[in-house]
Amino acid sequence: MRTVKHLAIAAACAAGLIGLTGCADTAGTVVQTDHLTNSTLVHENNTRLARRVRVMGVNYDTVNDLQRVHITLASTRHGRVRVDYRICWFDANGMEIDGDTKTYRTLILEGRDGVTVSGVANSAAGVSSKLRLRETSQAD
Amino acid sequence: MKTTPSCISILALAALMTGCATTVQEVALDRAAATTKLEPQDVRRTVEKMVESLLVAPGVKEFVSDRRPVMDIEPMKNRSTQHIDMISITDSVRMQLLRSGMFRFVDRSSAGTVGTDIARIDQENTLGLVDASKAVKAGQQTALDMYLTGTLSEIKNVTGRTVDQYYKFSMILKDLKTGEIVWADEKEIRKAATRPVFGM
Repeated sequence: MRTVKHLAIAAACAAGLIGLTGCADTAGTVVQTDHLTNSTLVHENNTRLARRVRVMGVNYDTVNDLQRVHITLASTRHGRVRVDYRICWFDANGMEIDGDTKTYRTLILEGRDGVTVSGVANSAAGVSSKLRLRETSQAD
Repeated sequence: MKTTPSCISILALAALMTGCATTVQEVALDRAAATTKLEPQDVRRTVEKMVESLLVAPGVKEFVSDRRPVMDIEPMKNRSTQHIDMISITDSVRMQLLRSGMFRFVDRSSAGTVGTDIARIDQENTLGLVDASKAVKAGQQTALDMYLTGTLSEIKNVTGRTVDQYYKFSMILKDLKTGEIVWADEKEIRKAATRPVFGM
């Protein structure tokens, strides 16, 4: 009886592990910057990623009449961290501008290193930006 | 009692059959790297990076200051060993630059067709088939201000089971009046893959 009980527990644990491997958390960190109101919001939707990579600062400027945003990200880990980021732009009405042309770029952060990523608006209509950060392992 | 083994065998067969079905699903455009070859996400990232770099270049600012210069783009040259549709990449760069609203474009790839069309229109005018006041006259097309060119090159190293692949996209924007290079940039991509000890 005892062996049967142990086997049942082992089977349940194995099933649980198999089930968990399918639960890839695709949410990440989002940094919203409004260049008109000078406000920045950081949403950390993934605790694991938020613990590994911190948003250290946000700066923005205008180049050739186009908005540009610089976001400094820093790793809290001693080892290498691989993340993907994407910066998309929105007009004054909050409509996304050519979202399909803004892609996820790969970023390799060395141990406890900080890197500044930047993005430029697709057109002069872009006034607010949104950075989406995800772990590379979650990109299929 | 006989029904139980039959049910089990049917279920086992059904489970086996589901493994044989081809799975097709739409996937995200920006996937993780799967091979050392140039993949769609590499092309998309390159186009985005190049366009952003061009739009914020100081030389371009001087040129664009109070007008929308006319540009043409030459199909990028492929110096790699892979078969890559460079015209498609060139089209993506042109599309993103056009959408920025900073440039105007002429399409010289269809210049031959335009010549034929004008010759046909001239013939129709001569024959008096069309209203002469509404006919398109030759010599009215916009002249070019700038010319964009680019190349893709690669370096491939194979060491034992490891394949190290390096790609470099280079682009140059030239002022046709002065011959000066207004902007130049490059995007590098490096990928490595290690074959397993057993298997393919």
